[in-house]
Amino acid sequence: MNIQQRTVGRRTFMRGALAAAAVAPLGGALVACAGSGSDDDNDNDGGTKSADNPFGMAENANVDAVIFDGGYGTDYVAFAAALMEKNFAGSTVKVSATTEIAQELQPRFVGGDPPDLIDNSGENSIGFATILDQLEDLTEVLDADNLEGTPIRDTLFGGVEAPGTFGDKFAALNYVLTVYAVWYSASLFKENGWEPPTTWDEAIDLGGKAKAKDKYLFLWGKEAATYYQTLAIGSAIKEGGDEVRLALENLEEGCWSLSAVQDVFTAMGEIVSAGYVKPGGAGTQFTAAQAQWSNNQDALLYPSGSWIENEMKDQTKAGFEMTGFPEMVVSSSSAMPYTAMHSAAGEPFVIPSQGKNVPGGKELLRTMLSKEAATNFAKTKLAPTIIKDTVPADGFGSTALVSQSKMLTDAGSDVFTWKFVDFYGTNVDQLVVWNSFLAGNASVSELTSRLQEITDKIREDDSIKKVEVT
Amino acid sequence: MTETAVASATTEARRRRPRRSARRPLTFDRVSFFLVFLGLPLALFLVFVVWPFVQAFYYSMTDWSGFTPDMNFVGLDNYRRLLDDDIFMTALRNNVVLALVVPLVTIVLSFALATMVTVGGSSHGAARGLRNSSFYRVISFFPYTIPAIAIGLIWAQMYDPSNGLLNGVLTGLGFERFESFPWLGDTRTAMPASIFVIIWGFVGFYMVLFIAAIKGIPAEYYDAARIDGAGRLRIAWSITIPLVRETVQTAYIYLGILALDAFVYMAALNPGGGPDNATLVMPQRLLDAAFTKGQFGLASAMGVVMAIATLLFAAIVFAVNRLTGGHERVTRR
Repeated sequence: MNIQQRTVGRRTFMRGALAAAAVAPLGGALVACAGSGSDDDNDNDGGTKSADNPFGMAENANVDAVIFDGGYGTDYVAFAAALMEKNFAGSTVKVSATTEIAQELQPRFVGGDPPDLIDNSGENSIGFATILDQLEDLTEVLDADNLEGTPIRDTLFGGVEAPGTFGDKFAALNYVLTVYAVWYSASLFKENGWEPPTTWDEAIDLGGKAKAKDKYLFLWGKEAATYYQTLAIGSAIKEGGDEVRLALENLEEGCWSLSAVQDVFTAMGEIVSAGYVKPGGAGTQFTAAQAQWSNNQDALLYPSGSWIENEMKDQTKAGFEMTGFPEMVVSSSSAMPYTAMHSAAGEPFVIPSQGKNVPGGKELLRTMLSKEAATNFAKTKLAPTIIKDTVPADGFGSTALVSQSKMLTDAGSDVFTWKFVDFYGTNVDQLVVWNSFLAGNASVSELTSRLQEITDKIREDDSIKKVEVT
Repeated sequence: MTETAVASATTEARRRRPRRSARRPLTFDRVSFFLVFLGLPLALFLVFVVWPFVQAFYYSMTDWSGFTPDMNFVGLDNYRRLLDDDIFMTALRNNVVLALVVPLVTIVLSFALATMVTVGGSSHGAARGLRNSSFYRVISFFPYTIPAIAIGLIWAQMYDPSNGLLNGVLTGLGFERFESFPWLGDTRTAMPASIFVIIWGFVGFYMVLFIAAIKGIPAEYYDAARIDGAGRLRIAWSITIPLVRETVQTAYIYLGILALDAFVYMAALNPGGGPDNATLVMPQRLLDAAFTKGQFGLASAMGVVMAIATLLFAAIVFAVNRLTGGHERVTRR
């Protein structure tokens, strides 16, 4: 049912209810701004397609891009926008920054006037399940040549389409490559003769050694307790393989009780009950907690995405030498090797089908995927994009960036990710459970049953659209 | 003769009545007056207050995602889902706890302070406050001048388990068990700690409100009560409270509305809802449903539940005040 067709019926109903005819014209205006105006005049066609203009953007067109202003800022898009304005003289590209993607764009989606390109990222991003139907399929962009003339698909790291593919639709192009790992200070480890653990047993040993030095193995902050869930799932998928990943992704019954998951939870439970986790995390703001790791070195290890280096740049001890290693495995007989990596591209760029200038949005994305723009990103943000070969061997002087490149090379094709947490928006509920568990207030079996409850609730709620992962 | 007089009087009256009630000529003056002082506010009220309420109520009966113009009417389904949603019910319960505790404690505290700085001073001579009372008045008003979000962030730092001022002081005093104690991360302390912050922010303001009310009471009442031998507590109970009753009621309702929301404080202190959702409040859940999960219909239903809870609260406060004789005494005065 469409609001527009309903307007009259609803308006009369409201009028009767209010018994105030005076309101009707004004009320009508409000309804109009809440739910109509979708008879958009998107001039999608106009330009002729050519090698330099593969999507056929009209001449002298305007592109409207709304970019999440988070850890990476928005200047990298502005860089590409300037490049594009040079290539298409007469066209203008407007790049607006916001941290409130959902709040700011919600009325524009309803009004049928969304921007041409969105970086749907950050805490206030729009859930993909909500807008999936309204997004363009971006396969066309990957099939096009980049500005240098190479097909874009050939310039990408492996598996980068996975996080943006929902069902059979490639709806989001995730631009920044994120490596999920466990991070430590190489200098501190060298000083004490410690080795980064490869199995959970080694991690427990290391916890004992840390205790002897009055340090903890792990610490956490209340908003980031689920980083340990990410670590646990990554480790369990390596142990049990795709079977575990698919069970979790498809919200299967008893998915948290699979033996691979349980083995990891049990090991974590041991670490918690041995007192190797710094207490008080449930009451500590997460960046404050992270500073206790990167600055005070209260704990040895911290599981996180590769944004951690940039995030803690100002609060990292000099000579820390931040380095990452892949998630611990349970045993040497794991389904995937220890070097397998949980890596996913982040910063999902989407193009709404109702935008005024869809080809323009695609063209801006194509420009961002050019070697020039991608190298600019790697250099200024110290993070790799999904474009290969933009990071030199010295990693622009960053140990974390070098270790990311190394881990990705070691992993080869053993790269995996999952998206049920973000897709169904369960992180908020899971945070509560993990905070209790890490604080030592919930046992492994409580952790399991409560995570299962969250999963079951989504599965059994028919109003939530599910996407089958294979 | 008398009959005709009566009759003519009535016809006179009848004749006069329509003339009396006949509208005075609609001069530009009168019309513009009505338009500006009656029409405009009414229109603004209808468009910006009543209409959004009606709209929200309508949306609460649809499955609107918030990002499309499409929606289906689902009747009361969203409300049924809320009743089955244990996390929302926890949030509702937390709001109710806040609405019970915050107004009560804040009002008792601020009333006690107000009494002390106005009439709680020396029992000799005229009724007056404690010495330096104007100084106390100023400093206790300070917290109210800080924006709520800043209060929340400041206290989140104070409560920090490892580097916070509170644990620093407590461990410094030799209470070793508060080493790294997570005030906002422990199910037993998260809610009381959060409540404390809200009260801390509001005591000063309500103290000033009560001071103004107490200043409005003629000093003779206090003098007379003193001569009759009433002590300070007795005076507060039998003179001050009955005479500031309406102010107490107003304060109670304001604080109750605040406590049934409490979003800013809770979002600053424990954005995730606290340990085991101990400090989760309804608006946090609402925001999550609307913008993260794309369930605007359900979120609207939460909003309606919040509005109903607030109206119920106000009704209860009015009723209690009326039943305990509030109205009567005020009129008797």
